[in-house]
Amino acid sequence: MNPPRLLIANRGEIAVRIIRACRDLGISPVAVYSEADRGSLHVRLADHAVPIGPPPARESYLVPEKLLAAARKTGASLVHPGFGFLSENAAFAQAVIDAGLTWVGPRPFSIGAMGSKTESRQRMLAAGVPVVPGMTTPAASAAEVAAFGRENGFPLLLKAAAGGGGKGMRVVRSESEVAEAFARTQSEAKSYFADDRVYAELFVEHPRHIEVQVLGDATGKVLAIGERECSLQRRHQKVLEECPSAAVSPELRAKMENVAVAAARAVEYVSAGTVEFLLARDGRFFFLEMNTRIQVEHPVTECVYGVDLVAEMIRIALGKPMSLAEKPAARGHAIECRVYAEDPGRAFAPSPGRITAVRWPGGPGIRVDAGLTAGDVVPLDYDPMVAKITAWGTSRDEARRRMLRALAETRVQGIQTSVPFFVSLLNDPRVVSNDVSTQFLDTYKFVPPAPEEGQMDLALAAAVLESLEQTKSVRPQTKGAPPAAWRIARPTHGAR
Amino acid sequence: MKFHARFPGSGPSGIALRVEAPPPSYEIETEGRTLAGNARRLGDGVWSLVTLDGRQAEARIERTPDGGMRVRIGAVTFEFDLLDELTARALLATGGRAVRKAKHVAAAMPGRVLRVLVAAGDAVSAGQPLIVLEAMKMENEVKSPQDGIVSGVAVAAGQPVNAGEVLVRFAADPA
Repeated sequence: MNPPRLLIANRGEIAVRIIRACRDLGISPVAVYSEADRGSLHVRLADHAVPIGPPPARESYLVPEKLLAAARKTGASLVHPGFGFLSENAAFAQAVIDAGLTWVGPRPFSIGAMGSKTESRQRMLAAGVPVVPGMTTPAASAAEVAAFGRENGFPLLLKAAAGGGGKGMRVVRSESEVAEAFARTQSEAKSYFADDRVYAELFVEHPRHIEVQVLGDATGKVLAIGERECSLQRRHQKVLEECPSAAVSPELRAKMENVAVAAARAVEYVSAGTVEFLLARDGRFFFLEMNTRIQVEHPVTECVYGVDLVAEMIRIALGKPMSLAEKPAARGHAIECRVYAEDPGRAFAPSPGRITAVRWPGGPGIRVDAGLTAGDVVPLDYDPMVAKITAWGTSRDEARRRMLRALAETRVQGIQTSVPFFVSLLNDPRVVSNDVSTQFLDTYKFVPPAPEEGQMDLALAAAVLESLEQTKSVRPQTKGAPPAAWRIARPTHGAR
Repeated sequence: MKFHARFPGSGPSGIALRVEAPPPSYEIETEGRTLAGNARRLGDGVWSLVTLDGRQAEARIERTPDGGMRVRIGAVTFEFDLLDELTARALLATGGRAVRKAKHVAAAMPGRVLRVLVAAGDAVSAGQPLIVLEAMKMENEVKSPQDGIVSGVAVAAGQPVNAGEVLVRFAADPA
């Protein structure tokens, strides 16, 4: 009998991750690709691959009909959406099910219930889950937002009702900023999510972002599998995550896990999901949102709890009970760095281009989830994450030191990456002592690591040698033996 | 063969580097010192250097968009202009004046113009945002490198641009 086929409605690193889970389970992976991704790693690792259109996501990875047609063409019986793209689109999940295929994810009802921030808040309030004070319906006008601010105080956070992944959010510090912020958030919401509804909530100052991993199966069992510390965010985008959080005591963990399970149960949750909380300085925590999909930072949980969350998702989608009888025991500490194609020395400007050479780190405790290899192009059209490096250690400090070792081994040639930024970050005393909040990176100034003594001379020598090499290769080749040393050393422009 | 490495503040002629022996055993004279050891090229722009006293470093070299050298050793990045002797002399002949003003600002990366914030005739100051570019789902402000007068805007909102494409032109300095 042929193994079942699973279509991955995604690209890059997460597509590669899902392909690996398929292989482990004896399932045949089917890739889809836009024209920008024809040669990508996820295509090369798959058994089948189907083109789905031009590079812009809205003409390829976001088109349900093309994905369903690809599944039909290849005989795939399962569809895994990964994260981003259509992963939290209830209509797509329903279309997959209506086509007679198996959706590897939660029920469309759960996605829909958690997908609208206003609806999810109402459900959470009803389920006794604590939430941040905020508007229960989208704001009809800037004046309504201003009134809410006068009543609950500033700062406020303006959010797209259909938002996610840090897009379409804006902090409003005073009433005078409301009008412009409302207009801009609305316009961003419209362009990112085709939905310009916006609402406001109280902005908790210097909170931590702590999220709880949950896993539910069709038998009705829901487990919480520890928390992740995701406070280090830039422009509301996570850059470094840890499991567990050094700020969460065993008592607090138990409390948060119980609330997370209640939140998941309130929407009859099946599959892997994440309940996000804001943890205030005083220990209170508030429900932020539930991500009804696999999370980018799932590897830190996998390292500490010894689970394969993606494989569990597939198992559960096939109607089997999860393989875990109970929450596994935690072991050690894990840290993940999201390596982006950006230049930390130039205000994190995007750095797209071709990767000419790459060396990923290895050795004890290191896991690399990369979507790209040498020769691949980081396309302009998608998220600029090139890899996730995860370091595990018996303690937080061992994980941190192993991460520094891994970053020192990492080489990505041809583009700039955020690796030097992580080296500085992981040496910052406040990061070492875990004295951070979600606002930490707003004021963090990346200072490039200072050269060690003698390094400048090495850099000069290397530059001169490379320059000689390049001059040599453009010079007309002479037949016979290569020029002797003295000829190269001689001035080439001596006619003066 | 002689080179000049110019850093911000290193003066118009920079640091002189004279190659006395090419790889694999390199020897470079500079400012009365000798940088020497064994060099091996491991790929495009990737070198392993072992100095005479046994220090090892893996260096990665790239050209910056403006033609400079970017050398990375570990997490440390060095950037400088490496000029051959001819170019260095030509620059010196201009009297080593401060850097001449740019005639235009070009896109550092491919993207799409979201907003144009200036128009021809505008007086702008160094650091002032000129254009907002969208690349890789992010908005990036293109700032003015200098004080000056905008003589023309070469792009319009919504337009895709390539790396190196001129965005804004400056009027010639009256001085």
